[in-house]
Order: sequence, then structure tokens, then C-alpha cells
Amino acid sequence: MSLPEFQKNYFQLFDLPEDFALDQAQLGKRYRQLQKELHPDRYASGSAYEQRLAVQYSALINEAYATLRKALPRSLYLLELAGMSKEDISGQQIDGGFLMAQMDLREKLMLLGELVDPEIALQHLVTEIGVDVNQLHEQFSCAYSVGELSAAASACVKLQYLEKLLLEAEQMESRLIDNQT
Amino acid sequence: MALLNIAEPGQSPLPHQIKRAIGIDLGTTNSLVATVRAGSAAILADEKGVMMLPSVVNYTDAQMPLVGAGALALAAQHPADTLMSVKRFMGRGSRDAIGDAQRSHYRLAEGEEGLVRFITSSGERSPVEVSADILRVLHKRALATLGGEIDGAVITVPAYFDEPQRQATKDAATLVGLRVLRLMNEPTAAAVAYGLDSAEQGVIAVYDLGGGTFDISILRLHKGVFEVLATGGDTALGGDDLDAALAEWVLQQCGSPSLAPGQYRQLQAAARAAKERLSDEVSVDLDLTGVLPSGGAVRVTREAFEGLIQPLVKRTLGACRRCLRDAELDAGIDNIVMVGGSTRVPLVREAVAEFFQRPPLVGIDPDQVVALGAAIQADILVGNRPEGDLLLLDVIPLSLGIETMGGLVEKIVPRNTTIPVSRAQEFTTYKDGQTALAIHIVQGEREMVSDCRSLAHFELRDIPPMVAGAARIKVTFQVDADGLLNVSACEEITGSQTSVTIKPSFGLTDDEITTMLQASFSHAVEDKLARQLAEQRLAGWQLLEGLKSALAADGEALLSEEDREAITAPMTELQALLEGQDTDAIRTLTERLGRQSETFASRRMDKSIREALAGMSLDALDDEVMQ
Repeated sequence: MSLPEFQKNYFQLFDLPEDFALDQAQLGKRYRQLQKELHPDRYASGSAYEQRLAVQYSALINEAYATLRKALPRSLYLLELAGMSKEDISGQQIDGGFLMAQMDLREKLMLLGELVDPEIALQHLVTEIGVDVNQLHEQFSCAYSVGELSAAASACVKLQYLEKLLLEAEQMESRLIDNQT
Repeated sequence: MALLNIAEPGQSPLPHQIKRAIGIDLGTTNSLVATVRAGSAAILADEKGVMMLPSVVNYTDAQMPLVGAGALALAAQHPADTLMSVKRFMGRGSRDAIGDAQRSHYRLAEGEEGLVRFITSSGERSPVEVSADILRVLHKRALATLGGEIDGAVITVPAYFDEPQRQATKDAATLVGLRVLRLMNEPTAAAVAYGLDSAEQGVIAVYDLGGGTFDISILRLHKGVFEVLATGGDTALGGDDLDAALAEWVLQQCGSPSLAPGQYRQLQAAARAAKERLSDEVSVDLDLTGVLPSGGAVRVTREAFEGLIQPLVKRTLGACRRCLRDAELDAGIDNIVMVGGSTRVPLVREAVAEFFQRPPLVGIDPDQVVALGAAIQADILVGNRPEGDLLLLDVIPLSLGIETMGGLVEKIVPRNTTIPVSRAQEFTTYKDGQTALAIHIVQGEREMVSDCRSLAHFELRDIPPMVAGAARIKVTFQVDADGLLNVSACEEITGSQTSVTIKPSFGLTDDEITTMLQASFSHAVEDKLARQLAEQRLAGWQLLEGLKSALAADGEALLSEEDREAITAPMTELQALLEGQDTDAIRTLTERLGRQSETFASRRMDKSIREALAGMSLDALDDEVMQ
């Protein structure tokens, strides 16, 4: 059985304007309301057919929620709605300055283990990356609102770099926790 | 038939009888069964008034496995026949279970890849069969107490259980003939047991130190919706390890003599008793009679015990830190729920209170809290609360991925993703005319396939022959609300369905289950037939009941007269059949009627979606009025 075809896009599904700025409270409220109706638990004593349907609807709502809740998937989704393909987005030129700064950050992360207090240093680094992330959100929002899709896409690609770096920082933190215990 | 039972606002559903639903905590050390009666959850006791059933089965007598305290009493005498802590072996392969088996002094059968089998003097037993024997006792207890067939059960599993471990648990219930409404994560169950009386909103951490596993979960409760934000833990760390640490230490004190398996069991039991007493006393004498020929006793102070378990407690806090980070909270934890007998250990409570900077909730017995929560959820799922006043949104504990070039893992569903979830991935062929494709699916967080848990090998066949790279095969991985995986595939260019053959790396195939079921038939054929009839009648009644209220609510609006007739005619027929004894005829007609009402069910589903979508403005209005 194929996924249910919801005619609405994710923003319409959650009754939200199609924009980067997002009312998280409204999103959460709407999400819980939809799941209250469609979650498989509501059909636990139903027929196998109903349960399959409910799993698919509920999975779709989870997917929509996960896409809108966080900035990066939300911005990628907005670009997709605007007609950009994955290849269009990943093909954006990234300026050398950004890439150099990335290499710096990565090097800092790699050398953390040798510091006396790696946890504090890691915190600083994560905060530093967080500032850059916020700036890129701002850049995306501005570019998207005036229809400069290529500039918006380039902000997205940069965000992907930073997200990857944050993931590595997270793994580093896990290792630090493991070493302590 | 919950969908068809949805009542229109302001209109009560047809009067329906209260269904019998149970919650089962199938624990490593002890198991419990609970139900909701007169609005509150209660543990069901056996005829002697005992609630906890030790999760121990003795197989010395092939005809009559002994379960519970009776089996426990035989542990020292027949160590290899008396299987304890079997939950540790659920859904695990022989190779990765060898260490645990040696420690427990079990003999494992060599043989088929994957499955663990214990050798007992009355034959081989799989962990699934042993768990089924425990479930059977609890099921009987529920039947006797509730006075009739059980409509459905919720069985709890550690949040950190991977897919094969969950599947094994469900298989065990299938062997007993229990209808599993949902596999529920133990920490979530504990939160539910507390949550209904607590504040309406807040963030809850559940610290669950069970016999064999440690789980930590962080949930947000928001107007009747429990959303699991993150979950983590350690499947190889539990209360048993506290006992084992103490036992080891005691042995060292005695000059490390080597023990026979029976003596080791005795020592473990003595260590457990000492651990329990040390929660209230500052020092105890651990009696070695029956453990060592010399007998005697070793004095253990609470301080010494705390020194021994400190590293283990620290390990749990590491998992807590990781889970807190995964939850991405913007504020602190409002409440901490403690689960598992070992959370009575003062050091554990203190360490948890210090870590979360608030005292944990201990109002509900930590041994019972999981079963009570499961009973509440079962009561909801079976449809006894038409309001559906509570909804749980749980997550997948470990990432799902597939093997790519060079033995690397590509993640498809990352851990802590809310379930159910459905993710599609595209594959292509690398040779001209290639018609089959093998996919290896794994679970775990590591980058290399060899470091993750192998779940299954899928083979896609019947791919239309094309040049290399032209085929676009979309594979959909779906994880249902029990955390179990389903896979489907289709070739997108031609639209042809490719068939998927699944070979689970662990666990039972459907054929094996059928064989086991048949084996249990031969024991009690009569019983089985009577139960099948009862089950079939129940399914028929449920369908009829659901359809009646659905027709009353939406029949006119959603169906033409002809369509209605196509449903009501077989309904009358089924009604008559239910009076009789013909199991097969009831099954056939129930299935046919089920299929015939599928369109109706879909329309009702669409309608409830439309209403959910339209309901927003009304809801917002309510909030304003409330304020």
C-alpha cells in the first residue's frame, strides 16, 4: 500500500504560513491535535486495515513535524516548494572564506582532546558555531523573503556544513562522557 | 474497531461493555500483571495473594515446566534446568550471548545461526519459549481474576530494546495466544502511571534500573499527550550487576574458591538479599551456608557496598547526560520517576537526586509502576475510555541503517525519531540487466556495519532488466508504533512492485512460530479449539459492534444505499453465525466483512482528518475562553 496522498503541503497541514519564521507553539499544538486523531493507538483495537492506514498517516504527520520543527530541514523544504531540486541546492558555490573558517573550527575540534579542560573548550566551540548558525538563519530568511533562491540555497549549504560539525562535536562530547565514567 | 467507534461530539457511542485489558511487565527478575478496575490500576495477585512472579522457569520435568517461586527454589539443585534472567537473551544471537550464558552457567545449543537455545535435561528451549511460559502463567492468572477472555494486552519492553528483542517479545505473546495491543517502553509506562495524577504540563525523566537493563527516558507531558523526547541506556547493565559485583567481592574475601554452578546461584541470591537489606541497614552479614563447604559469613558494610557499585552508578549517569543532551530541552526537568527495585539503594537515589538537582518521585512502588502504567495504556487501547484521554508518542531508540560500500552504515532513521515513521530510499542497479538487489539492514550508532546489530538481509527481486543505473528502486522502511520494522519496494520507472524477501538475522521466522504453535496444540488440542472459537467470536463481535455504531453515525452521510446494503446483509449473517460453533465460517465471514467495510473505514478516516484539520479554529476559541 502506498503512502496516503495528502493534498496539502506540510505548512498547510499545520495551518501555518509558508515562511521560514515559524510559530513553534502553534506547530506543537497542531501536531498533538493531529496525532490525537490519527495515531495508531487510536485504532489499536481496530482492523488490520485501519491500523495500516493509521500507521501511514501518523508517520506522515511525524515526518511533516520533523521537517518543520528544525531550521535546516524547514529551509530545505521551503526551497523544494519553491521548485529547487536537491542538485540545484547542493550545486551552490561556496565562498573560500567560509570554507577556510570551517577548516579552522574543525581543527579546533580535533585538538580538543589534548586540552586540560576539554569540556569547557567544547562548550565554547559549540557556542561559537551557534552564533554562525543564527547568522545563517538570518541570511536565509532575508534571501528567501525577497525571492533570491540561489542566495538562500547557499545559506542552506553552509548550514549543512555547520550541522555536520555540530554532530561531530556531539560525538566528541559522547567520547568525553565515556572517558569520565 | 476504534476508528468506527469514534463518537460524534455530544453524542455518546452505543452502550458498550467494559473490555478486559491487561498490562504485563515481563521483567528480567520478576514479572507482574495489572489491570484497570473501577478507574484505577491494580496489580493482580495469585491465589496466595502474591503479586510478583519471579521470571524463572524450571524444565527438569518435561511435562510440567515450573514457573516462579517454585522454580526459583530448584535453582541451586538444577542450575542448568532452571532458567533465570532469560530476558537478557531475548532476540540475541548465540555468539553475542556466550558471555552472559557462561556467567549464568547455562549450556547453549550449537546450531542454527542466530538463535540462542538453552540445553535443559528435558530438551532445548529458546528464550522466546521460556518467556512464553512465564506469560502463560500471568495470562491464566488474569483469566481467573477477571473471569473471562482477555481482549488485549500491553507488554512492556526496555526502551533500549532493539528490533529483534522487541520481535522476540511479541513472538512469546503470540505463542501464548495473547493479543498484543502494543509493545510499550517501560519508562514510558512508568511515566504514565505517575503522569495521570501529576501536573498537566512538564518534563519528566524516568530513571529505570531494572534487573538486567538500564534505561533513561525524557518525556514531555502536554495536555494528555506524552511525547518521548529522547531515550538512552545500557542493555548490559542492571540490578543483577550490583548483585554480581557484591558476589565477586565476597568471593575475593574468601580467597576466590571456584564454585559449582549451584553454589554460584546460591551466592547470587545471598548477595541480592544483602543488597536489599543494606538499603535500611548500615551493615549485614552475608551467610555463606550452602555456598562454601566451610559455610560462615562475610560482613558487608553499606560503605563497602557503595564503593563496589559506584562505577556502575556512574555509568548510568553518563547515559543520563547523553539523553539530556539528545532531548534538547530549553528548561530543566520537572520530575524524576524511579523504576526498578535497585532504585531503592540509597546511593542510587542520592546520585540521581544530585544529578538532576531535585528529589526523585518514589510514591509508587518501583517494582510495580511499570505494570500499572501498562494496564492504564491497555485500558485506553482496548477502547474502555472512548475519550482517548491520553496519547503516547514514543521514539525509536537506536538508528536504523543500511550497509553501503566498504562495510559502512548509511543511516536511514536516526535514533530518537518519533514512531511510527516511514522513510524511503532510492537504490539503483550497477550492472546491465540486473534483476535482483541485496540490502543489508542494521541497527546501531556506529559507523561500521561490523559494529552494529545485523537485523536482516532483504532481497529485491523481479527488477525489470535495464541498463546499469537506470532502474530507480524505491525502498520504504516503515517502523510501526511497536518499534517493529516493515520493508516494501517498488521500481519507480516501470512502477512494478519488486518482491522483498526478508531473512531475519535473529528471531523466529513465521514458519518457526507456526511449528511452535502446532507443538503446543498437541498438548491441549481441546483447549486450543475452544480458545480459537472464543477468539473468533470476539473478533466477530468487535467488528459487528464497531460497524453498528459507525453506521449509526456516518452510514447515511458516507454510503449510498447500495453500499450500506452490501455491509448490513453480511452483518446479519455474521450475527447468526456467532450463535453457533463454526469457527472457520465465523473467521471467513469476519474477514470478508472486514474487507467489504474497508472503503467505509477509509472514508471515515478521511472525515476524521478533515475534522481534525477544521477543528483548529474551534480549539483556539476554547483556549481563549479558558484564559
